[in-house]
Amino acid sequence: MSWFTNLPSWARWSLAAAVGMFVLTVVQRVSGTDLLTEEGTAQAMLRWSIPILLAGLGGLYSERAGIVNIGLEGMMILGTWFGAWGALNWGPWGGLAAGLVGGALGGLLHAVATVSFGVDQIISGVGINILAPALTRFLSERVFSGEAGGSVSQSPRVDGFGNFTVPGLADFLGTIRDQEIFWISDVAGFSRGFVAEMSWFTLIGLLTVPLSGWLLWKTRVGLRMRICGENPNAGESLGVNIYGHKYLGVIISGGLSGLAGAFIVLELAGLYRGGQTLGRGFIGLAALVFGNWRAIGVLAGSLVFSYPFGLSLVDFNAESSGGATRALLLVIAIALAGVMVWAQRSGKRGDAILAGLFAAIALVWYLGTETAAAWLPNTMPYALVLIVLLFASQRLRGPRTAGLPYRRGET
Amino acid sequence: MAPAIELIGITKRFPGVIANDNINLTVAEGEIHAICGENGAGKSTLMKILYGMQPADEGVMRVFGEEVTFSSPNDAIERGIGMVHQHLMLADQMSVIENVILGSEPTKRGVIDFDAAKAHLAEVGRAYGLTVDPDDYIDTLEIGERQRVEIIKVLYRGAKILILDEPTAVLVPQEVEELFNNLRELKQDGATIIFIDHKLQEVLEISDSITVIRRGKTVATVAASEVTAGDLAELMVGEELPSPETGASTVTTDVALAVTDLTVRDDDGRAIVDNVSLQVHRGEILGVAGIEGNGQSELINAIVGTYAAETGSIEMAGRDIGSASVRERREGGLGYVPQDRHREGLLLDAPLWENAALGHQTAAPYSKGFWVDRPGSRSQTQQIREEFDVRTPNVDVSARALSGGNQQKLIIGREMTAEPAVLIAAHPTRGIDVGAQADVWNQIRQARANGLATLLISADLDELIGLSDTIVVMYHGRLVATLDPAEIDPRTLGSYMTGAALKGDA
Repeated sequence: MSWFTNLPSWARWSLAAAVGMFVLTVVQRVSGTDLLTEEGTAQAMLRWSIPILLAGLGGLYSERAGIVNIGLEGMMILGTWFGAWGALNWGPWGGLAAGLVGGALGGLLHAVATVSFGVDQIISGVGINILAPALTRFLSERVFSGEAGGSVSQSPRVDGFGNFTVPGLADFLGTIRDQEIFWISDVAGFSRGFVAEMSWFTLIGLLTVPLSGWLLWKTRVGLRMRICGENPNAGESLGVNIYGHKYLGVIISGGLSGLAGAFIVLELAGLYRGGQTLGRGFIGLAALVFGNWRAIGVLAGSLVFSYPFGLSLVDFNAESSGGATRALLLVIAIALAGVMVWAQRSGKRGDAILAGLFAAIALVWYLGTETAAAWLPNTMPYALVLIVLLFASQRLRGPRTAGLPYRRGET
Repeated sequence: MAPAIELIGITKRFPGVIANDNINLTVAEGEIHAICGENGAGKSTLMKILYGMQPADEGVMRVFGEEVTFSSPNDAIERGIGMVHQHLMLADQMSVIENVILGSEPTKRGVIDFDAAKAHLAEVGRAYGLTVDPDDYIDTLEIGERQRVEIIKVLYRGAKILILDEPTAVLVPQEVEELFNNLRELKQDGATIIFIDHKLQEVLEISDSITVIRRGKTVATVAASEVTAGDLAELMVGEELPSPETGASTVTTDVALAVTDLTVRDDDGRAIVDNVSLQVHRGEILGVAGIEGNGQSELINAIVGTYAAETGSIEMAGRDIGSASVRERREGGLGYVPQDRHREGLLLDAPLWENAALGHQTAAPYSKGFWVDRPGSRSQTQQIREEFDVRTPNVDVSARALSGGNQQKLIIGREMTAEPAVLIAAHPTRGIDVGAQADVWNQIRQARANGLATLLISADLDELIGLSDTIVVMYHGRLVATLDPAEIDPRTLGSYMTGAALKGDA
């Protein structure tokens, strides 16, 4: 498999996506559904993935700078409120900016607690998760409850950015899709979901991926942030301002989480509502682990985790009730069977047996039902991360000192 | 010509101690100058002052004749001073080039210019004869290579004066040789090197002049060509250097610990301990030599019971303990001095008397039935303190407050007072000063005379050769040689440890 590991990461992920599409195509033929590779599924997945992506990238900055940020959820909540407030006053760009700043303030709080005062990072993060919903409720009571359509738990409606379609490419992919060629047309149709009717905000979200990769791995400030997560004493001994770069990482982390919140308000819900983040901050952390603490990996993780959600949006409605989600069980069984073969070949018998067992359970489940339960999509991100951790934990290379307290001059 | 470094009357006080007391030091340009002293003599503090990590309370520092004050390492770097720390300051998951340029990255508008960095690295490497692949990740490098990266890191910044803090502590003899060759080449190219060490042979071999520090004061500066190891040792400790010789053999024919065909696998299924068999007799010290990571830790963990062995048997005094719990093994007379006293040996924030009870918490005098016996524990700890010369104001201070040597003496005392039949001692004198080292050796020797069977693991080859009755060499998980310490010197032993001596046989 060395040829595979030698490929650049974008090529590896693309190849994995192509193989994944092939599996989806086959399964969908077998299971008598066409939603798995539907354009609408792709669109829903993409829209659903952006908050997870932004939160995951937020986690990336923070953990690379050596601070575990379990408070992503709380910072996202701040982003939802400030996003709505900004959008009401200054339109979508105002919402975007205010969400960013609101989240960054949450990040600043986390940085003050963990970097300057050495508070346990988990405790500070949990504190922020408790504080944020209370604070936004208080602010809503003060600001929104007086306005038409607003109340203590929700804001008046706000407008999003609007959509665009990539000209030419969308038509071209549409043409191929209509040819109904096995796999090729499925890939084309699914890909069309990424170029047609896309929100400008989605595009901004996607652009943060290469931007983050570039910033963290190609620039001076990025290298100095990363040393904070790998060996801060080494950085200190070379005159790097460790506290400053930790602050920067955690504040950027909060800002991106806030952006995720603003996206939920502007593009998904159209208003602020209490409790609308639905634990996406935690799924973002899961995407971070899935993506091996790399920007493009976080993107892959958030797309994979969003797929069952996106699918369920088109699958659980008037015409359909979980048939496609049931087909997903077969996909999982096949994927686990793949893991089993791989583990067997690498001589890890225990892993192989475990993967085979899970594969069998998924297969039996698939064969024993006509439609999947509606709760299934919600559990899948977490189940996937557990599987990744089970089978790939030795290959994961997270920042060495993330989560550990750092005091200057103490080793 | 002004000397490269001149320190006059440097004094540094910490609460309760004077770490540096009126230190005077002159280092000429282009020489290798060693600074010797026991652990705790104040060498590290002095170097931290010189590298800007701590300010001096009093005194004057001159670099190439100019008076300087440093408030951070940056100031020292700017003056051409670089430091190679004892614990390597490298990020394992970053590449060589990233580690080297950190803190002084060549950039074009904030973007790192990796091409320029690599070109400069190659230039430095050529100038000083040090080669390294800039794209390798640190965690794929051998320890000697990592140290080379550290040295390059310092040179990359244009350092003219290098401070090396106990650079040989982690190296095997062959790597030390290579390091010394590198240092000689650096010296030829005009660098000034300050070399901190307490291994006297090495100091004599590499340095031009030697300054000895004792209890925070400079005792003397001598030319390396004019002194012997014995002279230096006397300067360092003010008395004859203790030696680890054991004297007459006390080995009996009773097998106290027998390990047969023991195999331990890691998570990947690789045999880390591969079919190892050994026997330790009453009154015998069996030394296990090997470069770290060749299975010694796993071997002792399997014997102590913290790792599960896959196959093989472990017998103590004829009784199979292979499936016994750690506590059962300990109660059956197994003593253990762990390799990392901070992580495995002590609870740093607990008082000494609680630490003394660790591992013996189920038995008198530390417990009475279900309850902890506080008075009993205290008086027992008091006894350990007196018998083993643990220097502490009382037994209620936390273990953290003790120096490394006294912590180790407490651990040795804890294990010895339980009168074990078998002692597993892993690096019993690592990182402690010469005085405490002699005490620990004495204790082990005395217990040996009383019939204790000891399995000794150490990276200090003099200690292994001096203390052991028999030495076995562990390499890639296997016992590859059994040697008589009376007929071997550290060099030969080192070549067994690296596998070099085995190639001919294999």
